[in-house]
Amino acid sequence: MPSQAPAIERDGRSAVVRLRGDLLVPTAGELYARLRGVARQRGVKTVVLDFRDAGRIDSAGTAVVALLGRQLRRSGKQLDLRELHDQHRAAIELTPELASGVRPPDEVVGFVERFGAQVIETAGGIAAFGGLVAETLRQLAQVIARKKHIPAGALRHHLETMGVGAIFIVSLLAFLTGMTMAFQGAVQLQRFGAGVFVADMIGMSMVRELVPLMTAVIITGRTGAAIAAELGTMQVRSEIDALSTMGINPVRFLIVPRIVAITAIGPALTLIGIFIGIMGGMLVAQVTLDMPAVTFWSRVVDRVTLLDFAHGIGKSVVFAWIIGFTGSHLGLGAGGDAGSVGTATTRTVVLSVFFIILIDAVFATIATFTRHG
Amino acid sequence: MTGEAVLECRDLSVGYDRPILEHVDFQIAPGEIVALLGGSGCGKSTLLRTIVGLLPPLAGEVRLFGQSMYALSPGQRRRLLGRTGTAFQQDALFGSMTIEDNVALPLRELTQLPHAVICEMVRMRLALVGLPGMERRMPAQMSGGQRKRAALARASILDPELMFCDEPSAGLDPVVAAGIDETILGFRKVLGASLVVVTHELESIRTIADRAIMFAHGQIRATGTIDELSASHDPEVFGFFHRVAESTASPTGAAVAAS
Repeated sequence: MPSQAPAIERDGRSAVVRLRGDLLVPTAGELYARLRGVARQRGVKTVVLDFRDAGRIDSAGTAVVALLGRQLRRSGKQLDLRELHDQHRAAIELTPELASGVRPPDEVVGFVERFGAQVIETAGGIAAFGGLVAETLRQLAQVIARKKHIPAGALRHHLETMGVGAIFIVSLLAFLTGMTMAFQGAVQLQRFGAGVFVADMIGMSMVRELVPLMTAVIITGRTGAAIAAELGTMQVRSEIDALSTMGINPVRFLIVPRIVAITAIGPALTLIGIFIGIMGGMLVAQVTLDMPAVTFWSRVVDRVTLLDFAHGIGKSVVFAWIIGFTGSHLGLGAGGDAGSVGTATTRTVVLSVFFIILIDAVFATIATFTRHG
Repeated sequence: MTGEAVLECRDLSVGYDRPILEHVDFQIAPGEIVALLGGSGCGKSTLLRTIVGLLPPLAGEVRLFGQSMYALSPGQRRRLLGRTGTAFQQDALFGSMTIEDNVALPLRELTQLPHAVICEMVRMRLALVGLPGMERRMPAQMSGGQRKRAALARASILDPELMFCDEPSAGLDPVVAAGIDETILGFRKVLGASLVVVTHELESIRTIADRAIMFAHGQIRATGTIDELSASHDPEVFGFFHRVAESTASPTGAAVAAS
């Protein structure tokens, strides 16, 4: 039976809707719009759905009726179903709310509740993060004191996968960054006859800012995401629960090797990046400014102090911890489904980059006020 | 029951935000095999997570080998759990390790045994669970039944006094499931272990369990032997056994339903 528009009549404070034809997926949207219009009319207290001329009804048709009933009840109105055929009745009986006329209580969650829940969740997350850091340091101390040990080969495995595999991309990007900085700097500084200072600029920017930040972002994308995905997948497969029930501390077994490895890899890659980046700048200075490599290098060595190196390398260690702990915390906190692993991975990248930039700003501020900037 | 209970739950409530099971009281005696039964979502696995230290109880107490588990420090609790073994519904084998490394993991992490001794223990345990010569295989190279056996081997490698098995034969064909049942009985015979088994399989329950505890509507509904539960006039208990018998469609299952 093809679907037709329902006939709508007013009977005092009731609106009688005579349904005609099939109530199926293709026409359910249009029917819902019409019924909602009737339900919203001010004078209407009861909406009567007359099924006498109605044809088949499917899940979409039943959902429209259920939705209408809920909306009417919410505004203190009533829904009356009349002349139901057996098929209509059977479909309606699959919807307990419609069959019984009893509406399950709606959970109304207001802004204050949502905000409070968010605050509690955030506070819980921060506490859990702090707990993970504390437990990692405690386990690390026991490993250093040789009371406990980390799994054989785990550290080497992580050093290889996190570090060796990243050398090429870090070097390439550092080289290109050094070249770009040198091109930009050479053009601007030459205008003022200060082209020679391009070496100072490259040295300082590479050591203090650009390479530590760029390396941290690369490690976040490569390693932080991998840590979160690995741990999240292990959580999904109950492997971390299995460790706990075996009496093996998951933090010592899984987190400590990763944190130790990333603590070594962050500064190591940064050092490599600094050297390669300066090489890139030196190449451009030689080509565009005819500055001899020896002159460039000696200016860099004169300008960049040990304190500048400490600033850059110190930051790279802090960035590595941010990445390692964020990935570990979110990976361990993944739920039991594949989607939560993806969420943990994405959040690791976003939060790590955010906190890296935040901490970088803090470092810059402290350095400025302590006159080391 | 003989001797001190290896596991005792006292007025235990378990769940996440709100209780799924409440007022759970039972004891497991040394050497006893107890099956935890109930419909899907009734809280059996949640209870098991609380018992094995993965989910703190909302109320009540879990006493493991006479000690109140959640009153202990995390380190003490880990040592206590070292006397137990748990096989998860998903096998929870580490995919990047060989079966030998998986099974040897608790020995390498928690004991000072020499490498040769560990390898021999793994070889023997794999033979006990019916996986001789599978040491070098990766989990991905094994069937579901073999992975379950490997998980049981890992859970039992420290000769636990109490083992927990969550749906050990779920999703396996009857022949493989029967093999798993034999393995579980072998643990009691060879190791003298007590076992708590979460399962729906009536055939398995009849084969391995001394006693069963059935959960429904958020609490313990019935306790007793399988024969006692099968003969129960409680509509909930009878209905559960009837439905299970229908779904398993085995002669034994039909007999239970009829009784």
